Amino acid sequence: MIYLQIAANGLVLGGLYACIAVGFSLVWGVLNVINILHGTFIVLGSYIAYFAYVHAGIHPFVSVVLAGAALYLLGHAIQAGFINRVIAAPVLITLTLTFGLDLILNNAMLVAFTADYRSINLARPLGSVEIGPVFLPGDRVAAMALALLLTVLLYRLLRDSRIGRAIVAVRMDREAAALMGVDVKRINAITFAIGALMAGAAGALLSIIFPISPLNSATFLGKAFVVCVLGGLGSVPGAMVGGLVLGMVESFGSYWMGPEHAVTISFALLLVLLFVRPSGLLGRRGYE
Amino acid sequence: MRHWIALAILALLLAALPLAGNNYLLRLATIVCMYAVMAQSWNFIGGLAGYPSFATAAFFGFGAYTSAILQNQGVPMIFGWGVAGLASMAFAALIGGAILHLRGHYFAIASLIIAEMLREIVNTTPDLTGGGMGLNLPILRLSVTAQAQFFFYAMLALAVLCMAVAIVIHHGKLGFGLRCIQQNEDAANMLGVNTYAYKTAAFSLSAVFVGMAGAIYASWVNYIEPPDVFDVLLAVKPLVMVLLGGLGTVYGPAIGSVILLSFEEFVWRNLLTIHAAALGVIIVVLVLFLPNGILALLRERFGRRGA
Amino acid sequence: MLAENRSRRLVSAMVAAGIAAALGGSPVFAQDVVKVGAPLPLTGPLSPEGLKQKRGYDLWAEVANSKGGIKAGGKTYKVEIVYTDYASNTPRAVQSAERMITEDKVSFLFAPFGSGATKASSAVAEKYGIPMLAPTASSAEVYDQNYKFLFGTLTPNNTVSEPIARLVTEKNKDVKRVAILARNDLFPLAVAQAFEKAAKERGLEVVTFERYAIGTMDHSAAITQMRAARPDWVYASGYINDLILIRKQMNDLGLRPLVLTMIAGPAYQEFAKAVGPLAENITSMSWWHPAVRYKGKDVFGSTEAFNAAWAKKYGGEADYVEASSAADGAILQLAIEMAGTIEPRKVRDAIAALDVETFYGRVKFGPSGQITSLEPPVFQLQGGKPVVLWPDAIKQGELRFLSR
Repeated sequence: MIYLQIAANGLVLGGLYACIAVGFSLVWGVLNVINILHGTFIVLGSYIAYFAYVHAGIHPFVSVVLAGAALYLLGHAIQAGFINRVIAAPVLITLTLTFGLDLILNNAMLVAFTADYRSINLARPLGSVEIGPVFLPGDRVAAMALALLLTVLLYRLLRDSRIGRAIVAVRMDREAAALMGVDVKRINAITFAIGALMAGAAGALLSIIFPISPLNSATFLGKAFVVCVLGGLGSVPGAMVGGLVLGMVESFGSYWMGPEHAVTISFALLLVLLFVRPSGLLGRRGYE
Repeated sequence: MRHWIALAILALLLAALPLAGNNYLLRLATIVCMYAVMAQSWNFIGGLAGYPSFATAAFFGFGAYTSAILQNQGVPMIFGWGVAGLASMAFAALIGGAILHLRGHYFAIASLIIAEMLREIVNTTPDLTGGGMGLNLPILRLSVTAQAQFFFYAMLALAVLCMAVAIVIHHGKLGFGLRCIQQNEDAANMLGVNTYAYKTAAFSLSAVFVGMAGAIYASWVNYIEPPDVFDVLLAVKPLVMVLLGGLGTVYGPAIGSVILLSFEEFVWRNLLTIHAAALGVIIVVLVLFLPNGILALLRERFGRRGA
Repeated sequence: MLAENRSRRLVSAMVAAGIAAALGGSPVFAQDVVKVGAPLPLTGPLSPEGLKQKRGYDLWAEVANSKGGIKAGGKTYKVEIVYTDYASNTPRAVQSAERMITEDKVSFLFAPFGSGATKASSAVAEKYGIPMLAPTASSAEVYDQNYKFLFGTLTPNNTVSEPIARLVTEKNKDVKRVAILARNDLFPLAVAQAFEKAAKERGLEVVTFERYAIGTMDHSAAITQMRAARPDWVYASGYINDLILIRKQMNDLGLRPLVLTMIAGPAYQEFAKAVGPLAENITSMSWWHPAVRYKGKDVFGSTEAFNAAWAKKYGGEADYVEASSAADGAILQLAIEMAGTIEPRKVRDAIAALDVETFYGRVKFGPSGQITSLEPPVFQLQGGKPVVLWPDAIKQGELRFLSR
C-alpha cells in the first residue's frame, strides 16, 4: 500500500520537474544553447510572485502571468544583448557566457533580496486530499495541473501558430529554415524569451511549494538537465515524459535506498542514459 | 629550445620567492601554481582536443580524498600524493571510456555530473570518507613559515612538471593529433588518427596533475569536505584562465592563472558583496570581446613572432 | 575593426588595473586599538548566519567602545573588528583567517560560521598562536585536535538532546516510537545521533533513522517512510530552509506525531514566520534564549541589559547565534582585562582560566576548549512565540502535545 503513496509522490514531483524543465529544453533544442540562467530565472519568478502576494495580495497562481511577462522581457533583452553575439560559437563559449551571466544575475538577487529563505503562506491554504491510503498535497497538485495547462498551451503554440512553426523549423534545420525565409535571429530571440517566460511561470507556481532563495537556482538547473537528457531536447512531450520518469525514479529510489541517495540516483541515471541513448527516451537528437 | 630555457628561468625566479619573507604572499603564489596546474591540465582536453570538459573539479576532489584516506591509514604523505595522481589518471581513463564518445554539450554535462556523483558518493560513505563531516589530515610538525615554504615548493614543482609535459605534448605527435581532432574529428579518423586513444590520453593527462594538486591541497589545509573540493567553480575557473591566456597555447594557462588570481584578490578585498558578479563580468567581457585570450592580443600589438 | 580594437584596449586596461590594485596596500591607524579578525560568510548559502554573527560582534564593539574601550595594563584600547567575506567557502575562510593574522595583524580571531569552517580555520589560529573564539561550533569533533588556542561557546551536541528526551518521557509514557530525519552534514547529523543515543537510553524505540542529502528539495519519500512506521515522536535536524520544507510536507502527507522536535530552525524568528500556524507546538532546544536571566561581570552586565541593548540597536530579540557572538566579544574583553594585556598568549591563558557569570550564562571552558558550563533551554513554540520549558529556574510554560 505504501507503494501507492510513493508512486503518487513520484507523479506529483515529476509534474513539477517537467514544469521546471520545459523552457530549458526548448532553448537547448532550438538555439543549441545551454541556458545556465534558467534556474535563476525560476527563482526570479518566485520572487515576483512572493512580492506580489506580500505587498498586493495577488495570488501566486495569478502572478504566473506577471512573472511570465516580466521574464519574457528579461529573456529577450539578455538574448539580444549577449547571447546573440555568440550564437554560432562552440559549446565552450556559449556555456561559459551563460555561466558568467548567471553569476551576475544571481549575485544581484542575493544583494537585492538577501539569502534569507522566504515562504508564501496562503491565507487559505489548499490542504491535503486523502484518497484512500494516499495523501495528495493540494498545493503541489494544483501547481502541477496549472503547469500541465501551460505546457499544453506551449505545445499548441508550437504546433499551430506561425511563430511556433517557425521555431520548430529552426530546431529541425537552421539553414533550411533561413532559406525558407525565416528570420532566424528573431526566432532565436523569441525562443529564448519564451524559455524565460516558462521559467518565470514555473517559479510563480513553485513559490507556494518551496522556500524561495537565490540559493535554490542550482538545484532547479540540475533537475532541468536530467529531465532534458531523459526526455530529449526541444520537445514538450519529451520534457513531460522526462520529468515524470525522474520523479518516479527519485521517489522509488529514495524509498529503496534511502533519501540521501536520491541525488546520486538521478545523476547515475543521467550518466547511463548519456552512455546508452543520449538522444533521450523520446529520441529527439540534439545538436552534436 | 627556447621553451626549456624560459621555463627554467621562470622556475628559478619563483623558487626565490620565499626570500621575500611574506607568508601570505607565499600562500597566494601557492594558489597561483595550483591554478596554473589546473588550467594547463584542462588545456590538454579543452584547448587542444576541443572537448569542453568540466571534470576538473571531479579529479581535484578525487585526488584530495584518495590521498587523505591513504594518509589516514598511515601511508606517508608524498607517497599518498603520487598514488592520488595515478589513481586520478586511471579514473579518468575509465570514465573516458564512458563519455568520450559524446560531443559538445553532452560531453560537457557528463563531465560536470561526474563531480556531483563523486560528491554524493563521498557524502554517503562516511565510514571511509567522513561524509558530510569532512576529513582531517595529519598536521606536519613544522613551523608555520617552514610549512608555507614546503607547500609552495611542492605546488611549484608540480606546476613546473606540468608545464614541461605541456611543452613536450604541444610540440609532439599527440598535440598535433589532438589539434586535428579539434578541427574535424571524422576527417582525422579517416586519416588514420586513433581518435579514441588520443582523446583518452588527453583526458587522462587532464586528470593526473589535477589529482596531485588536490592531494597537495588537502595536506596543506588539513581538512577537506565535499563542497570545497568538488566545487563547480573549480571546474569553471581553469576554463576561464585558459580563455584569458589563450586557448591551446603553452603559456596561456599560466598567464591566465596569474591574471585571474590577481583579479580575485582585488575583488575579495574591495568588492566584498559582489565578488561572484565580478567574476561573471570578467567572464562575459572575456567571452564577448576577447575569445582568443591575452596572448593573441599581445601578439597583435607587438607584431608576429614564432609560437 | 575599430570597435574590436577599442574593446581590446578596454580589456587590457582592466587587466592592468586589476594587477596593480591587487598589489596595493592598506592604510595604517595610529591609536591604541585592539584588532579582532572575523571572517564571515556574508554572501552565499550561509549568509543569514554570517550576518547574525556580525550583528552580535557589532553590538559588543559598540557597547564596549561607548564605555571607553577595553582597559588593560594602564592603557585603553578601542575595539576594532576586521571583517572579510568568505562567501560560505571553507578554504576561503581559512585563507582569510591567515591573511588577517599576517597582513591585518589582528591579535585575536572570531571563528567563521559552523563546525566545519571552525575546525578548518582553527589550525591556522593554532599555528600562529592566536586565540580564536567560536560562537557557532557545537560538535565535539571540532575540539578533538588538542589545540590550545580554540575556545567555543556552544556546549556539545548531547546537551541539546538529553534534556528534551528526559522531559518528554517523563511527561508522557505513551510516547514510545521515535523517527529521526537528519541532514547529512556535520552539525545536524551529529546532533541527531546524540539524540538517538539519548532516546535509546530512555527506553524509546527508534523506528527509523533517515538521512537526507544537502540541497534536498523534496522529502516526501522520507516522510512517507516515517509515516509507515507510525512514530509518536518525530525528530528532524537541519537548517532553517530544510525544516520549513519538512514541516510543510509532513502536514501535506499526513504525518502527525504527538511530539515534533526540530533543531535548529525554531530558535529563529524567521522560522515561525515562514511556517505560520504549522509552527504550533514544535519543540526545540537552543543554547541560549532571551528568557534566561543571568547577572554577570561582563560589559553588558545582565541578560536584561543585553536584551535592551539589542532591542535598541536592532529591534526584536536576539537568537542564540547572535547572543553567542556578542558573548564571545564580552568574554574576550573580560580575559584581556584579567590578563592586563592584549598579548595573545597571555590572553589565551586568561580565557582558559575563566570561571565567571555573564549575561550569556556561566562561562567555564573544558580542557578541549569547549564551554562546559551552559544549560541550554528546552522551548516550545506556543502561539507563534517560544516558551521555555526547562530548566525549571526559568520555566515559562508546560509541554503540550500535537493533536492527532
